[in-house]
Formats: sequence, C-alpha cells, structure tokens
Amino acid sequence: MRALAILSGRSHPLLAESIADRLGVSVGEVRLMKFANRETSVEIKQDVRGKDVFIIQSGGVGNVNDHLIDMLIIIHACKIASARRIVAVIPFFPYSRQADIPYSTASPVVSAITAPMCGSMVGGRAIPPGEMAPTSRRVREQWQARPGTLVANMLTAAGVDHIITMDLHDAQFQGFFDIPVDNLLAQPLMLRYIRQCIPDYENAVIVSPDSGGAKRAIVIAERLGLDFGLVHKERRAPGSPVNDTTFVGDVNGRPAIIIDDIVDTGTTLLQAATVLRRQGATRVVALVTHAVLAGDTAALIGSSTHLDELIVSTSVPLPKEKIEASRNKIRQFDVAYIFAEAIRRIHNGESVSYLFEEHWR
Amino acid sequence: MSESSAMDNSIKLFAGNSHPELAKQVARRLGIALSQVKVCKLPNQETSVTLEESVRDEDVFILQSGCGEINDHLMELLILINACKTASARRVTAVVPCFPYARQDKKDKSRAPITAKLVANMLIVAGADHVITMDLHASQIQGFFDIPVDNLYAEPAAIRWIRSNLDVANCVIVSPDAGGAKRATSIADKLDVEFALIHKERKKANEVSKMVLVGNVSGKIAVLVDDMADTCGTLIMAADTLLESGARKVYALVTHGIFSGNAVEKLAKSRLEAVVASNTIPHSEKQLECFPDATEDNPHPESKIRTIDVSSVLAEAIRRTHNGESVSFLFANDVS
Repeated sequence: MRALAILSGRSHPLLAESIADRLGVSVGEVRLMKFANRETSVEIKQDVRGKDVFIIQSGGVGNVNDHLIDMLIIIHACKIASARRIVAVIPFFPYSRQADIPYSTASPVVSAITAPMCGSMVGGRAIPPGEMAPTSRRVREQWQARPGTLVANMLTAAGVDHIITMDLHDAQFQGFFDIPVDNLLAQPLMLRYIRQCIPDYENAVIVSPDSGGAKRAIVIAERLGLDFGLVHKERRAPGSPVNDTTFVGDVNGRPAIIIDDIVDTGTTLLQAATVLRRQGATRVVALVTHAVLAGDTAALIGSSTHLDELIVSTSVPLPKEKIEASRNKIRQFDVAYIFAEAIRRIHNGESVSYLFEEHWR
Repeated sequence: MSESSAMDNSIKLFAGNSHPELAKQVARRLGIALSQVKVCKLPNQETSVTLEESVRDEDVFILQSGCGEINDHLMELLILINACKTASARRVTAVVPCFPYARQDKKDKSRAPITAKLVANMLIVAGADHVITMDLHASQIQGFFDIPVDNLYAEPAAIRWIRSNLDVANCVIVSPDAGGAKRATSIADKLDVEFALIHKERKKANEVSKMVLVGNVSGKIAVLVDDMADTCGTLIMAADTLLESGARKVYALVTHGIFSGNAVEKLAKSRLEAVVASNTIPHSEKQLECFPDATEDNPHPESKIRTIDVSSVLAEAIRRTHNGESVSFLFANDVS
C-alpha cells in the first residue's frame, strides 16, 4: 500500500505491530522520550508528507494522561509535517466514561487539594455575621467535570481528521466530535467467541450487569436467540457506592454470560456474578471489550468463587502478570484484524459499515 | 458591603496539584480563600475533577504551573478550565506561572512538533478566555494564542533581590547564552552596571560543549541571568568560565527553577555561590538538599538555592485583571 503510515504511541505497541503486520507494512519509527523536566519529546523518523497517517494509541493503560498528550503531540507533529490525513486509532477511548463512573466518591483519592473551608471571606465576599458560608452547607450538587467533550475537542484541535475507536461507552460520544468517528463493534467477535468457545451456550442466559448496558446485551441475546437477564444496581443516595443489587430474569440451573464494555475495578462485574450465583446460575462467564483492570482487579477476579471466566479483547494490553494474578481466568480475543480492515477500508475509501456485520470474514 | 457589590461577580481562585503552596500564598495576598475543588486520579489513572462550589457568572482564575509530572498537571488544568466553563463561569483565566512545553516553540527539525503551540490550542479549546503567565521562554509564544496573554516579568523582583543582597556597584550582569542577552541587558541597564555575554556552542540538547566569554568580569561579582535553570549544566559551566576569567563570585538568577535530573547534586558541588529562583515552581524540598560542604569559616552554610517570592506579582495581576485595571504597571514596578 502506498502513502500509508502506521505510527504508534507507547500504550499498546503489540496491537500496533499486529495491525501493521496484517496490513503488510511496518510500524513507522517514532522516538518518544521524556526530557529531564518531564516534558514529552517526540521525534518522528518516518516521512509522512502527503500520507494517510494512522496513529495507534489506547487508553486504560499506564499513565493515561501521558499517553493522551503523547498522541496529541504526534498528531500535531504529523499535521505540521504535511500529512494528507491523520486518523487517530483509539481502541479504548480514554475519559469516555467519567460522567457516570461508579466510584467517584468512594474511590481512594490519590492526591487532592482542599482549601480551608471556614473563614469570614468566601469567594472575595464578606459573609455577614449569622449567615453561614455557602460552602459549609450543601447548597448545590457538586459539579463533576466531564472531560469527554474536552478530549474530543483536544484531538480535533491537535489536527486529527478521523477517529477509529471501539465500543464507546455511550454511542452519543460520537456526537461530541465534528469529524468522522468510526465506532467499531466487538459484538461480531463476541458472538463468534460464544458460538465457538462456550460449550452449552444454547442453554445460557445473556446478562447485562447494569441497566446502562442492557441494549448491548440484548442485541447479543437476540442474535443468538437466547434469554436475557438484567442486574440492577440500586443507588440509595446520589454518588454513594453500589449498595444493593437485584436480578431480573431467570438463570436458575443455567449458565450465565455477562456482556459489558469495560471492566475497570471489577466491582460491577463481581457483584453481578455473585447475584447470578445466588439466583442459581451453574456457571458465570463474562465477555467484556475493554480490560482496564485497574489496581489489583485481576487478583480479585482470580479469587472470586462466583466468576468462572473473563474474556476480554486486545483493545487494552493485558500483561502476563494480570493473567497470572487472575489464576488464568482471563482470556483474550484479538481485535487487531478488525482494526486493520477498518484502516485498509478507510485508506481506500471503502465502506466500513460492512465490519459491523457478524460474518464479515 | 453594599447590596450592589454583592451582586457583582467575584474572584474565584482554583488550584490544581502542581503548586499548592503558591496557590495559598496568592489567595492570601488577594484576601480570599481558595475555592473548593477535588482534583484526583481515579484507579484507572484518569484525572477526575469535582468543583465543590458554584462558579456561575463568577470570574474564575485557575492556578497551575508546568512542573513535576507536566502531562498530568496539564490535563488537570485543562479539565479544570473546561469544568468551570461548562459550569457557566463568566470568564476563565488560566494562571500558568511556568508555561509547560515553552521551549518546544519552533520546528527546528524535520517533523518536530511545536508543542507550545499545541498547548496554546488546548487551553483555548478547553475554554480559557485569558492567560496569565510569567517570563515565557520566548515572548513570541503569546502569538500562538488568539486570546489575551499577560506575560509577567520576574525582573522587578530580581532587581530588588540584587539590590538588597549584593554589592551592586561591583556586579556585572552576564547572559549565559546569546538568546538571553536582551533579558540580561535590561537588568544591567536598570541597575546601571556592566554587561557580559557567554557564547556557547551546542552539540546536543541539554549538552554544552564550549564557552566563550565576551566582556570583562575580572574582580567583579558576576550575576548570571536566565529564564530557567533545568539541568543546570549551562549555568555551572558558565560559572566555571566566569571564575576562570577572574570573577570573584558567581550568582545565578533565574525565573523558573526546574532543577531536573541530578541538578541539585551538581549545584551543591559547583562553584556557583547560589542560584536564586522565583517560586513559579516549587523547590522548597530541593532547597533542603542543596548545601555546599561546610568549611571552617562557614560551618553552617546556607542552601545554594534561594527563593524570590513572586506570589505578589501574580496576585496583583489577578486583582488588576478582575477589576479591569492596567497590568502593564507590573512589568516595570515591584509590587511586593
């Protein structure tokens, strides 16, 4: 293929190589370093003038902010080096889920700055005696930043022309961009995995671990002609951690297959597995697209007596240590060829929607 | 306070995690409390920002310096700006005492990024209406923005430090490279002292090969003036060159004391008398590690890193910006 360059950040070199391999090209050399003062330095060794440049960088691994800034700098460098078109290939999109992230208040705070709350001056205004400072009683909800739009705008401002990603947490996220976004689906690959690798799947129940993912799971249930169930988390107070779960559906004496898009701290998944077991499920298998597996989540999955297996895609790198920590409960299905095919089609101006079908290959 | 002034919008000062100390000092000088915000990292390494108070129709200032884990701090700043903007702040001003990536400001090689321009674009898309910064590596970076940028100077504070700590009549101001000649001559003119320049031949970034002194420093106190001290290789080598040329003592005066890598260790061993840096970047911990060896004459030596406080300049710039007063007064006048 002519006039095509595949570049990679530091987040997922393995996937980049695999994609380049399938396209019959090699990954262009990019030297990414940090200067002594912790600024990122980018040197693109490959010529990009007049080329279609595809930059592969995933979220959910290592220092997300470093990877994001690295990618922005590479995009910008390619833009001012006269690349014809710049496509960001972001298998797992960072900051796409923060709005409803379940652990916003319960999570351990790595670092936080809080100013002294009391004092007679608040926001430059003197508080008359007798009146409480507005901050000392809760007059309003907290304003949780939602950086999804910001990240979208940053990519566009850096000079990206097109985005390829996979299983966005909210499909609406595509609307945050003013440029084309191809949201590939892991669903055809999940369907194939279930058919080929899960024995007795005909008898199983497809389960969504929360109401937000119901649609995603129902599509798979319909395609396979299986029953569907839903685990519902009740949140008693806004922002409080998950404190009660109920199950809708019938899983008694049958295997359960949980479908979700992200496994992060694994709380939702393990809780769902527990509920399913309590409801009499014989076996619980989870198929999840993006394996963030923050902290010691892999070990938690390994020690769970309720979750039997977790199958994730290669959208986020899965180090050997995590597989070992999970006692080999985690397995992967490869998404490199779906990305490679999308890149090939975008480069050649062919339709990408064909990739959304189940038996495209 | 009258009824009408309570209707006016007020200053809200937020800070990220880069320099809490400076934020507190600026807030104190403005006579306000820092606004409540939670800036943290989630287990998945994404930055999370929660504004704990309303900013609707307020004049918001966000203080974050480009230091430490620069990318994390930059993301914090961008998310903070965006959060305030989407929470209907009337105006959002980014106060960035040390502008990150300021040295990557030109396409000096094939396919090199102009990251300073990228950062400017990022600040604008995040929603910044105004930027306040200090001693930009190249003042042309202001042109990367389509919004107002106030580039403050640490110069008045530096001049005050020289006047109150050194024998001005015996000083000679030295620029450690040709690029900083303008900055150094400006100080030399204001102090009415001699000026010298060191010309260096650079082979690789962060590595200096050969130095040539232009000017006379014999028997004088040489004061090296630069915008930043990073790995300090240049400053230490310049100090050696100056001492070999007959200077009595050598001080270095910088705005941004980054002191990265093993700079602290190198400084402690160097022949530099002291590096005087402003507090645009926190260096109090490094200060405690940077002592010269004790001698008989001086059994308890002072740290080689000294601090000039610029919080008053930043606070005054914020106050003036908020009130719609001229900021250019601060360029030439010492406000502390």
